[in-house]
Amino acid sequence: MSSFCACSTPAGKAGICVIRISGDGLGDILDPMFRIIRSAGDHKKYSQMPGYVCAYSGFVDPKTGDRIDDVIVTRFLPPHSYTGDEMAEISCHGGEAVKKEILRVLYEAGIAPALPGEFTKTAYINGKLDIAEAEAVMDTINAESKRALDAAGTLRMGKLSRELQEIENDLYSDLSLIEMMVEFPEHDDTPENSDKVMEGCSKAASRLKLLAGSYAKGRLLKERMQVALLGRPNSGKSTLFNFFAGYDRAIVTDIPGTTRDSVEIDIEVDGIPVTVTDTAGIRQTDDKVEACGVQRALNIASAADLCFVLIDPDEEASEASERIKTTIEARDHKRTAIVFTKSDIGINPARDAITGAEEIFRECRVIEVSAATKENTESLFAEIRDCYESLSADLTGGIIIMSERHRSLLQSASDKLTEACNAVGSGLGEDIASSVIRSALEDIGKITGKSVSAELADTIFGKFCIGK
Amino acid sequence: MDLKEALMTENAYMAGEYDVAVVGAGHAGCEAAHAAAKLGLKTVLFTLYLDSIANLPCNPSVGGTAKGQLVREIDALGGIMGKVADICAIQTRMLNRSKGPAVYSPRAQMDRNRYSAVMKATLEKLPGLHIRQAHVTELLTQKNGDLVNVCGVMTESHAVYSARAVVICSGTYMEARTIRGEVICESGPDGLPRSVGLSKSLRDLDIPILRFKTGTPVRVNAGSIDFSQMTRQDGETDIPPFSFDHEMNGYKVPQEQIPCWSVWTTPLTREVISQNMSRSPLYSGVITGIGPRYCPSIEDKFMKFSDKDRHQIFIEPMGKETSEMYLQGFSTSLPEEVQVKMVRSLPGLSEAVIQRSAYAIEYDLVDPLSLLPSLESKIVGGLFTAGQINGSSGYEEAAAQGIIAGINASMKIKGRDPVIIDRAGGYIGVLIDDLVTKGTNEPYRMMTSRAEYRLFLRQDNADMRLTPVGYEAGLIDGERYAKFTSKQEAIEAEKERLKNTFVGPSEELIRILDEAGQEPPKSGVSLEALLRRPRVTYEALSPVDKDRKPLSDDVIAAVSTDIKYEGYLKLEKEKIKEFSKLEKKLLPPDISYASIEGLRLEARSKLDAVKPLNLGQASRISGVSPADISVLTVYLEMRKRRQGDGN
Repeated sequence: MSSFCACSTPAGKAGICVIRISGDGLGDILDPMFRIIRSAGDHKKYSQMPGYVCAYSGFVDPKTGDRIDDVIVTRFLPPHSYTGDEMAEISCHGGEAVKKEILRVLYEAGIAPALPGEFTKTAYINGKLDIAEAEAVMDTINAESKRALDAAGTLRMGKLSRELQEIENDLYSDLSLIEMMVEFPEHDDTPENSDKVMEGCSKAASRLKLLAGSYAKGRLLKERMQVALLGRPNSGKSTLFNFFAGYDRAIVTDIPGTTRDSVEIDIEVDGIPVTVTDTAGIRQTDDKVEACGVQRALNIASAADLCFVLIDPDEEASEASERIKTTIEARDHKRTAIVFTKSDIGINPARDAITGAEEIFRECRVIEVSAATKENTESLFAEIRDCYESLSADLTGGIIIMSERHRSLLQSASDKLTEACNAVGSGLGEDIASSVIRSALEDIGKITGKSVSAELADTIFGKFCIGK
Repeated sequence: MDLKEALMTENAYMAGEYDVAVVGAGHAGCEAAHAAAKLGLKTVLFTLYLDSIANLPCNPSVGGTAKGQLVREIDALGGIMGKVADICAIQTRMLNRSKGPAVYSPRAQMDRNRYSAVMKATLEKLPGLHIRQAHVTELLTQKNGDLVNVCGVMTESHAVYSARAVVICSGTYMEARTIRGEVICESGPDGLPRSVGLSKSLRDLDIPILRFKTGTPVRVNAGSIDFSQMTRQDGETDIPPFSFDHEMNGYKVPQEQIPCWSVWTTPLTREVISQNMSRSPLYSGVITGIGPRYCPSIEDKFMKFSDKDRHQIFIEPMGKETSEMYLQGFSTSLPEEVQVKMVRSLPGLSEAVIQRSAYAIEYDLVDPLSLLPSLESKIVGGLFTAGQINGSSGYEEAAAQGIIAGINASMKIKGRDPVIIDRAGGYIGVLIDDLVTKGTNEPYRMMTSRAEYRLFLRQDNADMRLTPVGYEAGLIDGERYAKFTSKQEAIEAEKERLKNTFVGPSEELIRILDEAGQEPPKSGVSLEALLRRPRVTYEALSPVDKDRKPLSDDVIAAVSTDIKYEGYLKLEKEKIKEFSKLEKKLLPPDISYASIEGLRLEARSKLDAVKPLNLGQASRISGVSPADISVLTVYLEMRKRRQGDGN
């Protein structure tokens, strides 16, 4: 039985957020992620925990060892869980960045993103719903199968669907070339077929990759673009934040370290939904509360889609360039802009020394701005727009994938086709190539509805909100 | 008509009492009768003509793509086709050798007369099996309340045979007629008598009857052929026999083989055909039966693939003691005089002496949608059908159904569950599931691309997949099963050894890898990892694998394939696991689909017609959508709970 997970609390800001995981044999998968601090019965490993107890634990990315958040994890054993399979519930800190990081780690460990309604469906199949609930499910399905027809009709008309059908048709014709060679070997009088197939596959692979890539934009449209403001205490973060907010939300004072925890505001930039986060000022500190906030600031900055590193007029050149460098590296070269603040009172005199300090700074746009006089603030919006545009190439017809499920299917199909080409290239037989192409077609079929598999039946349960 | 009524007809007499009666001794009938008799049932096998048992009226070969896999599977189950084919082979090949082990397909040219003789002799020696030349014209049934069950058969001469199960394998003989241009004969293939009356007897029982057509090319005397103008095609002697039993006993395919030949059609061939198209019964409307797309007549090829100006024709020997040669790819239903001109337009055949004409043949068959996956009729209990009567084409497809029908007729009598091979179990499963779930509107030919799990359904592992099934059914004896088990153990042990044996980066190893175009390893590496690399063979690794014990070829092949394909096989097994989930959700036979709320009307009628055994089969019916399957899932679950509540 495959496992799946989803965030069960609504999207957006909240104090905490609950991520649910369901599937058999979770112990082995989850053990490396938890560093249990305290638990009932003093169990050190998730898999040792009995059911229905919780543990206070660090959550780490097993690949890097990085601690993402401190969480509460609760274990449920079959059959007494919502779905009837083994379940884990992770309560983590609210906010998109932490949630996304945790989900990423879970996905990478092979726990699939839950399909819409998958929890309810599993509960249903495992007999966890009573007959009245089951009948309600039945009613929904009856209604849904009619609506699904309409939806399928709409999809048929859709641009994505048209694009996918084109790719499907091309692949089917490539596949038929292979099958022709395999089924009628004695009539194999066209040796160049193999090349044709490889060419077709690699073309389809790149088209699918582009489509999958458009999710970078789609995701932002759905989940909002995260913009982090990072800088040392009193570098003007909160002033800039208030400029974005258009009203005084953060406490703005001139005592360094006022913003101990981060604050967020949702704005819209040319139709792009954006969440701006004012992080705690970064500096060495002994204050326990503030230290926690500083760590959080770094986490938020590294998870954000765009980070503005703020340099005020008084910051030392070496300190400033060191911080820019750390940030770029922590963000793994995701887009970062260097913002010289308080241009109304004069920007940092070491501007050129700072921006020229490291080769990698060249990738950053440099903006000089005054939040107080609003001077040059349009450059900040331009940077946000450019960051969005740079996420993926514009596709014909402006196709943008809006669902993680579509993205992972398209990416998987693309990877498989590349693999098919490699298989043929590395001397593996047409049998492998064909099997891999079929598998890619099955992935695409899960979007276009062409493959009739047990999974497709699940669309019916899509009526139920994800993770519920 | 029941037994009593049959015995009251003129000159009627009771001719025998049997458990199983098999009608028709072609490839399906022979397997069915063999299986039933082997399983200890008193069996009678009827044939219209004793000397044409297991006749090969079309191409003189057994196996080929997907068909070779079927023969291996039949043998793995304990069938007979592979063994007879091994004995009668005059040329053997492994097709698709360059395209990967999953599509390796053994094929052998047969000595046609010998094939028939060996099969007949083998069956004659089988205890519990009687072979009888007779023309069965009537299926005898009795009513049991609402149910109709078979109780025997009656022949043209009113001999009455009682039987608890009947397997009909009528091939292309039911109400057959052969066509050459304007000349129509009421005859079976090869000029043999046709079956008359049986089709009506089935129709009267409300069994749906369809009509298909197929065809066969001319035969030419080898003495009249100039082979110097043809391309010679020799066999391969380093391949395994069809039969796993033979293979495990060290049997080798014949080392002296007879060649085949190939030529291309000429512009003259095309001209002769186009000038005479108006005389083709297909295009003039004489033939109404539906022919196969994949094996078109030569005139069809020229008409439908007009962009191709030539087609390849193969000239195949029909046996050691005959000069007859078969022209594969040249089947036609044009008139005889045109056939002569067509044949003589081919290189090396300008002086050709034709010994038999090509013809198209039309025949009656049963709509396979009226069958259960056990191959028992849904309409008449105890009636099984197998082979071309079920809409398939080909000797191997027929034999595959024959063995299943024979086993299941026996299981029914023994009161045991039917043996059903699913789509992940073998090509046999794919074949039968396609026929009984989707039906067919042309003679159905097995193709490897019809199998979803092709990497797993290989000719080399058919025994691993199916010999346990044959053993469980009782067709495989303890001695063979023990050999099978030790072969599987040897495979596992060797895989384990390769996994745990590490070799250092010696010069020898670097040379071996270099020859395969592979980078040298950076450190010590397991033999398994080395074998997984492209183009590195088990044989090539021998110099660095000092502790290697001699193993048989079949074990080495299985080990190599398992290791090289491991990643891909793992993925396929995951898919099989998913597939099995729906296959295990059984649909009770008493479901009234018409009354299930939420099912679309089309789905209701399709489901009612097919009556699928499980959700998996239901999902493959055309016209049943995923939404319908969800509705069924919920319906099943609710039904189960309601029944649970009642208890």
